[in-house]
Amino acid sequence: MLKVLQNKLNGRALLALLFFVNVSTHLHAQPEPLNPQLTQEEIEQYPVDSAQAWLTKMSQASRSLNFSITFVLLKPGVDSQPYLWRHGVTAEGIEMEELNLLNGAGKKALRVDKKVSYFEPNVPPYSLVSTTINGPFPSQFFRYPEKLFVGYDLVMVGKSRVSGRAAQQIRIISKDKSRYGLNVWLDQETGLLLKMNMFNLKNQLLEQIQVTGLQVTEQPDPFFSKIEIGMLPEVVNIEQNKKIRSPWQIGYLPVGMELVNRKLRRLSITSEVVEYVMLSDGLVDISLYIQENVKSKTTGRLVGANQTDTLFTIQNGPLNITIIGKIPAATANAIATSIQRQP
Amino acid sequence: MSQKFENLSALIDGEQLSSDDVIEAVKGDADLMQKWKSYHLIRDGLRKELPTELNFDIAANVAQALENEPAILAPKKTWRELPLVSSVIPFAKQGGQMAVAASVAVAMILGVQQMNQTDVEQPFNAAPPILGIKGGLSPVSFEQTRTAPKTDAIEQKRRIQAYLIDHKEQMRFKTFQAPVVDSDVLPIEETPINEGAESDIVESTPE
Repeated sequence: MLKVLQNKLNGRALLALLFFVNVSTHLHAQPEPLNPQLTQEEIEQYPVDSAQAWLTKMSQASRSLNFSITFVLLKPGVDSQPYLWRHGVTAEGIEMEELNLLNGAGKKALRVDKKVSYFEPNVPPYSLVSTTINGPFPSQFFRYPEKLFVGYDLVMVGKSRVSGRAAQQIRIISKDKSRYGLNVWLDQETGLLLKMNMFNLKNQLLEQIQVTGLQVTEQPDPFFSKIEIGMLPEVVNIEQNKKIRSPWQIGYLPVGMELVNRKLRRLSITSEVVEYVMLSDGLVDISLYIQENVKSKTTGRLVGANQTDTLFTIQNGPLNITIIGKIPAATANAIATSIQRQP
Repeated sequence: MSQKFENLSALIDGEQLSSDDVIEAVKGDADLMQKWKSYHLIRDGLRKELPTELNFDIAANVAQALENEPAILAPKKTWRELPLVSSVIPFAKQGGQMAVAASVAVAMILGVQQMNQTDVEQPFNAAPPILGIKGGLSPVSFEQTRTAPKTDAIEQKRRIQAYLIDHKEQMRFKTFQAPVVDSDVLPIEETPINEGAESDIVESTPE
């Protein structure tokens, strides 16, 4: 038995052990990144060739490279959605990013540094102050991947070929098994995303992003030079009201998930005022609605799905609690039942 | 001995170029077959791809069960085969079979009834609730896994639509500038965007 084990160690199946041996050779094989100073500094926090280093490299590449990517978003029950995603850094050092839905009337978002403008049919164009575009990607995945490190385990899986390029596969799994996982394939040369699969706790595919074309250029796309920054729509004002403490306390949050927003909202159809809470772990953002003393008797537990979003409603004492987002229903139940009056 | 394991290991790692020889060797060698299985298992473990339930060797278990099965031998001749007795026994047997059939039917009915009973205390229906992703194109389409009383259903639906629309709006207007820092007191805002802009966006909600 021991001898067999020893043979196994001497063999090559236990790749993990050999990562450390491979490190030195692999490092030299990598091309120099465009912005070596910052990259070195950022990547050196993590062991070389670790999943953390790869995600940092991805983040760095998607902020500093001039690239043009086409990808397709696939969701069950919905037609496939092709997108064009371009990014460039101008000679003045201003970051520009475009995300464009190519089918139908189209939706388009343009980010110039910290201003994101949205152009959509039937809606007057508007801008928000943000460093990320709200699109089909997990909200903060490219900009702040380090947020994931708290709540998720990262596993280096192996190398394969995606979109005709050599790819590094990384698996992202929630530490407490309370959220869906991700499989991402990153381009070995640039670190850019090639493919992303979201899967549930039974390893069934929920959502997929497949890159179909990737081009990295020296100069930013000529499209960016045509943009007249002064002509972009004005920033929508989000008024900050006085700070109030909510009487309700959320007892349970999944590992790595935190409260990013809390406010009162008036719902558009029913005109009811509810307390709104946004929770985020850097990968998924979920909405939590708390309503006290609902007049009608239309309460009770209800579980449903809207595309990949889970909708969960529960009556918890005097509260009607609704949770919407890309999380398993059991997790939504755990959060909802943990809400109590502040001591 | 170790060389053949070495070759197999290399094959599974994708480092062996000529795979035919090794596969031939595996076919004829029980040791190697065992290795083949455990190497793949190790790989899945390292990648955290192990299935939730591990059911190894169904075939082997079946084979083992057959092995332990008592052999059925031809019965000896007995007094039952006397002419009179042999004509009486079938009647008795038939009756017995009827009784067996009837009791099976009762058991089935009981079983079905039990299966159809819904557990009221259970938070979710037995079917996994998340998988019914048939939402279609409308942002407010919604499938219910539990029926509410009819009079309340419309009200319930309205509220859910309101929540779904608001969720979409929140996702649209969320902004991120830097990793959020923990703070004790959280600001509570009242309806952040002016009403006009809000209703405009709600009307459209494409996708």
